[in-house]
Amino acid sequence: MKFYTKFSKAKILFLAFIFTISCSKDDPDGVNEQEYISNVLMTIESADGTTQTVDWDLSEMNSQTINLKVNTDYTVGLRFINSSDPTEVEEITLEIIDEADEHQVFFEFADVSVNVTSASNDTKVGSRGVLLNSVWNASSAGTGLVRVYLIHQPTNFNATTREGFGGYNDVSIDIPVSIVE
Amino acid sequence: MDALVKIEGTNFFSQTNLNGEYKIEGICPGKYVLNISHPNCKTKNKNINLKENKTYDLKLEHHINELEEIILSDSRLFRTRKSVREVLVDISEINSYGSNTLVDALNYIPGASILKTGNSIGKPVIHGMYGSRVGIVTDGFRQYDQQWGPDHAPNIDFDSFETIQLIKGAAALKYGGDTSAGSIILSSKRKVLRDTLFGTSFINLESNGWGGKLGSRLEKNYSNGFYINGNFTGKRYGDFNTPNYVLSNTGFKEVDFSIKLGKDLVSKGWNLKYSNYNLEPGILKASHIGNVQDLFFALNSSEPSIIDDFTYNIGAPNQRASHQRLSFKYFRSFKNDVKLDFGYSYQNNKRKEFDIRRGGRTNIPVVDLLLKTQNLILGFSNIKMENWGFEFGYNALIQDNFSTPDTGVKRLIPDYIKLENGIYIQGSYQESNSFLWEWGLRLDHVFYDAKKYYYKSVWEERGYDVLFNEFETGTEFANQILVNPKFNYLNVSAQTGISTKISDNSEFNISYILSQRAPNPSELFSDGLHHAMAAIEYGYLGINPETSHKFLLSLSKTKKNYNWSFEPFISKTFNYIFIEPTGLKQTIRGAFPVWTYKSTDAFLTGIDFNYSQSIIEILRFDIGASYVYAQDILNSEPLILIPPLNSFQKLKVSPKNSKWTFEISNHISAKQNRFPDSNFIFDYIQDGTIVSKTVDISESPSGFHRLDAILSLQIRNQKNFTANLRLIAQNILNTDYRDYLNRMRYYSSELGRNLQIQLNFNY
Repeated sequence: MKFYTKFSKAKILFLAFIFTISCSKDDPDGVNEQEYISNVLMTIESADGTTQTVDWDLSEMNSQTINLKVNTDYTVGLRFINSSDPTEVEEITLEIIDEADEHQVFFEFADVSVNVTSASNDTKVGSRGVLLNSVWNASSAGTGLVRVYLIHQPTNFNATTREGFGGYNDVSIDIPVSIVE
Repeated sequence: MDALVKIEGTNFFSQTNLNGEYKIEGICPGKYVLNISHPNCKTKNKNINLKENKTYDLKLEHHINELEEIILSDSRLFRTRKSVREVLVDISEINSYGSNTLVDALNYIPGASILKTGNSIGKPVIHGMYGSRVGIVTDGFRQYDQQWGPDHAPNIDFDSFETIQLIKGAAALKYGGDTSAGSIILSSKRKVLRDTLFGTSFINLESNGWGGKLGSRLEKNYSNGFYINGNFTGKRYGDFNTPNYVLSNTGFKEVDFSIKLGKDLVSKGWNLKYSNYNLEPGILKASHIGNVQDLFFALNSSEPSIIDDFTYNIGAPNQRASHQRLSFKYFRSFKNDVKLDFGYSYQNNKRKEFDIRRGGRTNIPVVDLLLKTQNLILGFSNIKMENWGFEFGYNALIQDNFSTPDTGVKRLIPDYIKLENGIYIQGSYQESNSFLWEWGLRLDHVFYDAKKYYYKSVWEERGYDVLFNEFETGTEFANQILVNPKFNYLNVSAQTGISTKISDNSEFNISYILSQRAPNPSELFSDGLHHAMAAIEYGYLGINPETSHKFLLSLSKTKKNYNWSFEPFISKTFNYIFIEPTGLKQTIRGAFPVWTYKSTDAFLTGIDFNYSQSIIEILRFDIGASYVYAQDILNSEPLILIPPLNSFQKLKVSPKNSKWTFEISNHISAKQNRFPDSNFIFDYIQDGTIVSKTVDISESPSGFHRLDAILSLQIRNQKNFTANLRLIAQNILNTDYRDYLNRMRYYSSELGRNLQIQLNFNY
């Protein structure tokens, strides 16, 4: 087989190719997820100064119940936190405030009836309150839940149902609510 | 086209048949000059001294036997494997249907369909399978882009090739044994050994998307076999529209070019090619959704949630893909006709995906991958011993994937190195023109070395801390751990088949194909959120390679006035890898369905059918149909995303001696009634109370039919210049329909009416 000898060149190329295989990958850098929200912090403050805090945590996903009294005003503050890297906790709320023009908070209640208005210290875009700070007032007793939404790029800012807002959810969590007389 | 063998100075001549054989009878003994001519070759003379019956083996430069997989000007195909029926289409013919993408073109081939994500991203589906099960080969090299993703279009400029071959089943063993569905092979035509300069240019303008494409190809050939050619294609489209609304953010841009130079002779040749492909498609804005609730709203709305005015601008969500390839090929034939092929290619694939993000990060991609692949091929073919023919070779591959950490998003596909070594041997035994036996065997070794961060919670939840404890490196980052999975797979694939002539014009082929495929990186490592599906996708580290057994049969008949083919297949795949919903996961963004890669045993069978008949001399009728039945055996349910029963009918008028042709075609797609139940239930707050709602993502859309028409006019026909004008109307009736194989069907309908003007020049 004469032609095989002619191919020493090809053979060398081929062996060179095989030898380049022995390399291995460097360790990749870890990725600290940006935009990620791991915790939702709610502070519910009544006029008499009593304060409840509710911390919805991604890893536990069960949260305390919000306790309200009928016909009482509560100021509700909302914060979004990224604590996925405990050494570098990020306050995502600041990003939301920066981009208030494309964000809207929406509270949807099930089995309880609570009236929500924008608080005086709320972040506003024109006359629209983003509801990062809001005033809650329950009209009757009962137990149910509130679904807290942070909506990014809603197509309609003045809707009354989640569907009406359009856009998509950056946050959608359920927190139990208990209302007494 | 056949070669002509003449005896000079006489009226004796013969035309070679399909196999290049000729016969001249009734000649008196004496001295003659044989004159052999072929339109694509240099004419040759041979002096003969005839005393008795004698066989002369004549070879022209570019004689047919050696033109493997290369097609002569009348599109006669040199098949990769003769015992498996192949379909061959000229790219110019595909262009004449007004197709914009490679996969669009496949719509005209029974047995092939398209899995789409919107209208500019499509993947070929053969025999009901897609992705890693379909191999794409360009210029003799497998294409390596991020082909695992259903929303990743093959990064190929099909306008820079001249023919498409579709091979059903993994019969093309020299390119790989893992493509159980089939292969698509794109090639250029063989060069002409003459001093020529020719070119083609085209311009298309379309009403849907208010855009078009523009391209040119120039080629210079020299009589010493040297050639150089260059190619350019540009495409630009704005938002497309359905019959009733604009599909916002669906425009796309594409710019491609390539340059190739080489020398091609009968006994040896080489070429060097560089190609560059850039695609930037927009993704329907309304398909960027949050959680299952958003998906529920989308499914229950007849229109996308965002419809803006028409624009050429492309915003997030969008993709940016680029593919560069540098390849070198060399071949040489020896005295005993044995042919050596050597090739090397380097492919560089960049893929970026953009999403709507917070904090001004929209212009930072969420997926940013760089895939570098080196490929080596070495083969010896045309080894002949009487009736036996052999071919063997070696392929090697090194692939390096890098996933940028700068995205600030968890990597969907990790960094990995993949090594592949494959050897194959195949052969044939041909007793006569009417019987051929073929066989082939291939062995592949696949090795993965990946480095990936898992959230500790996920690593434990999936039981990996016990099963794959050895992969843990000990390195930690925040609450993630770095693991180093290494996998080895050894795959065997084989093919055997026979091809027989039942009569002069009918042929019967039967083939058995065994193929094995190692899981791809997404099946192993996927780990993240897929926005358009509102789904969290998980790979599974313990997934095993899949093994598929397939029987292919084909019966065909070709007569002057009609021809038909009938091609059933039946296959069973063990460890068929697929993705299915495995529950809902609560996240801070609400509930998401979790889709996990799993394996099952799958049974697939189907039929492709084609019939063509001349009704009268100027009128031809074509009909094609195909059906696939696919069942998940272990779970006793249908497989997902299987093309429904579909058919096309075509009527073509081509008057004799006139400059125009007209054709009208109809595509029918039935409703897919066989689909698995992937629905899930979520809690929805309606009028102040919680109600359970079903998110119906399983139901298939109703059937549809679509009417297209093409009028072709030859406006100039000179020796060195031809010009054609085509007027094409697609979806003439402006039918509003949705396609089961389009992942955007949850959000929007298919495209409405489109009018196209095409101008083609050949010079």
